[in-house]
Amino acid sequence: MTTSNPFKYPPLHRRLYGVWYRHMRVYTKNLLSNGFPPFLEPLIFLVGVGLGLGKYISEPMGGVRYIEFLGAGLLVTTAMFTSAFECSFGTYIRLEFEKVYDAMLAAPMTVNNLIVGEMIWAGSKGLFFSLAVLCILSAFRIILLPYGLLAPLVGFLTGVMFAALSLLVTSFVKTINHFNFYFTGFISPIFFFSGVVFPVANLPGFIRPLAEMVPLTHSVRLVRAICTNDYKPILLFDLLYIAVFIMVVGFFAIKRLKKRLVN
Amino acid sequence: MAKAVITVRNISKSFGRIQAVRDLSFSVESGSCFGFLGPNGAGKTTVMKMIYGKCTRDESCGGQMDIFGYDPAKNELAIKYLSGVVQQENNLDDELNVIQNLMIYSRFYNTPVKAAKERIEYLLDFLELSEKADSKIKELSGGMKRRLVIARALLNFPRLLILDEPTTGLDPQVRHLIWEKIRQLQKQETTVLLTTHYMEEAFQLCDRLLIMHKGQKVMEGTPEDLLEENIEKYVLEVLDADPVRQVHQDTPLNRVRVDHTADVTRYYANDMDVLKQLAASFLKAGNYLIRQTNLEDVFLKATGRRLNDNQ
Repeated sequence: MTTSNPFKYPPLHRRLYGVWYRHMRVYTKNLLSNGFPPFLEPLIFLVGVGLGLGKYISEPMGGVRYIEFLGAGLLVTTAMFTSAFECSFGTYIRLEFEKVYDAMLAAPMTVNNLIVGEMIWAGSKGLFFSLAVLCILSAFRIILLPYGLLAPLVGFLTGVMFAALSLLVTSFVKTINHFNFYFTGFISPIFFFSGVVFPVANLPGFIRPLAEMVPLTHSVRLVRAICTNDYKPILLFDLLYIAVFIMVVGFFAIKRLKKRLVN
Repeated sequence: MAKAVITVRNISKSFGRIQAVRDLSFSVESGSCFGFLGPNGAGKTTVMKMIYGKCTRDESCGGQMDIFGYDPAKNELAIKYLSGVVQQENNLDDELNVIQNLMIYSRFYNTPVKAAKERIEYLLDFLELSEKADSKIKELSGGMKRRLVIARALLNFPRLLILDEPTTGLDPQVRHLIWEKIRQLQKQETTVLLTTHYMEEAFQLCDRLLIMHKGQKVMEGTPEDLLEENIEKYVLEVLDADPVRQVHQDTPLNRVRVDHTADVTRYYANDMDVLKQLAASFLKAGNYLIRQTNLEDVFLKATGRRLNDNQ
């Protein structure tokens, strides 16, 4: 019988890939029920806005038709929601109910590898969900190709950002019901106050700085620039914000989850 | 004597104010099966977890651990790569089928796909699960799930196999099958660490046993030595307690040790004839049992008969 050589444990990228591969296999196991809704959601949105709400909003918003305005925002909100769910309810179930992490941590990987892999997976889901919205919106010529093709990358960054945040929240959660506070108290308001439904510039002066602090605001600005092919220097600040947010929040998420995973 | 592949010196572990492991030392020889016995909450699982890095030992106590030349505090990945771990829970991926569960873990070990498939085929055959290769996890019985978790632990040809209560809750057939497989692995020079509540399992499999109680080592040795050194050869068990108490107060019992609990009185002696005489002197046939002492008697002597807070 050949025995293992301990010097040959997988290199970092293979360990991260292992975590990603595990999640991908579980996700694609129910391809129809998991892969169909991301395409259905923007269709429902189109019907709702196109046939209903759109009629009442005749003024252009942010220089474009309202359906284009809202459509661009949808490219990143979808990434936010999928990532937030994956790394809150999903992570908690793997952590406390299924004990999947316990088993994974007996294989050659560290808690850091596990959590970073989790974040990359959530980013990938963000990318896929963004792409699904892009497919539908470009099919209806609401977003023009080829400009829009970069949008899923912002979906990826948004996914990683909300993965870090949701993992940090998860590290505090004692029962799965606590996530209700997170979604009603934080994720839902973000949807309204980050420039997705209406421009942040229209908010009263005292709220505007708050909107600048909200992570999604920066994703929205990036994705709008991509959709309109109109790039401004402030986008560099948005990218910097996202990078710093991921690193700082991710650092604390790993630190706190480590205490739960390694006693 | 074979080389020691695991050496643990004076390790301790506390969770807040609870001290789960206190100043524990032991060493395990290459290719042997080393068993941990102890009541629930004795610290057995914590010791296992400290070995593969799921738990960190208390730094303040200055203990040392050497697992195949590595310290879990520094070389967690190397230790995980050379070990296979069967945890207490069957933490399988319910969404996936049997083969997919194993394929995912092959990725964790970075095994090339072709080699992984061959290994999986071999292991399913080894643990008699080949027919279930494409089954969903929910369709498996408890014994099959357990065997699958063991197969998963064997994917990377482990030099060290860590089994935390591998047969708890399984029927005798499955239990014996698992014992047989563990023995076969031992013949292939796999070192095995085992925790169990089944004394027979410990007796059947382990070359050396360590009995823990409240985080401390109470006894250590080969099963035979533990029996020989710590308990008399025979025991007379009497169920009906009251009349016995009266009798043993006025009988000379200098060659018999008496252990009295609420319902049962046990008389231990190395000479069976003494017990026979004793029984004949005051008991009716059928009211008592004389048997050889076993590991369970040693265990209960070492850890007490009463439940502690953690049980």
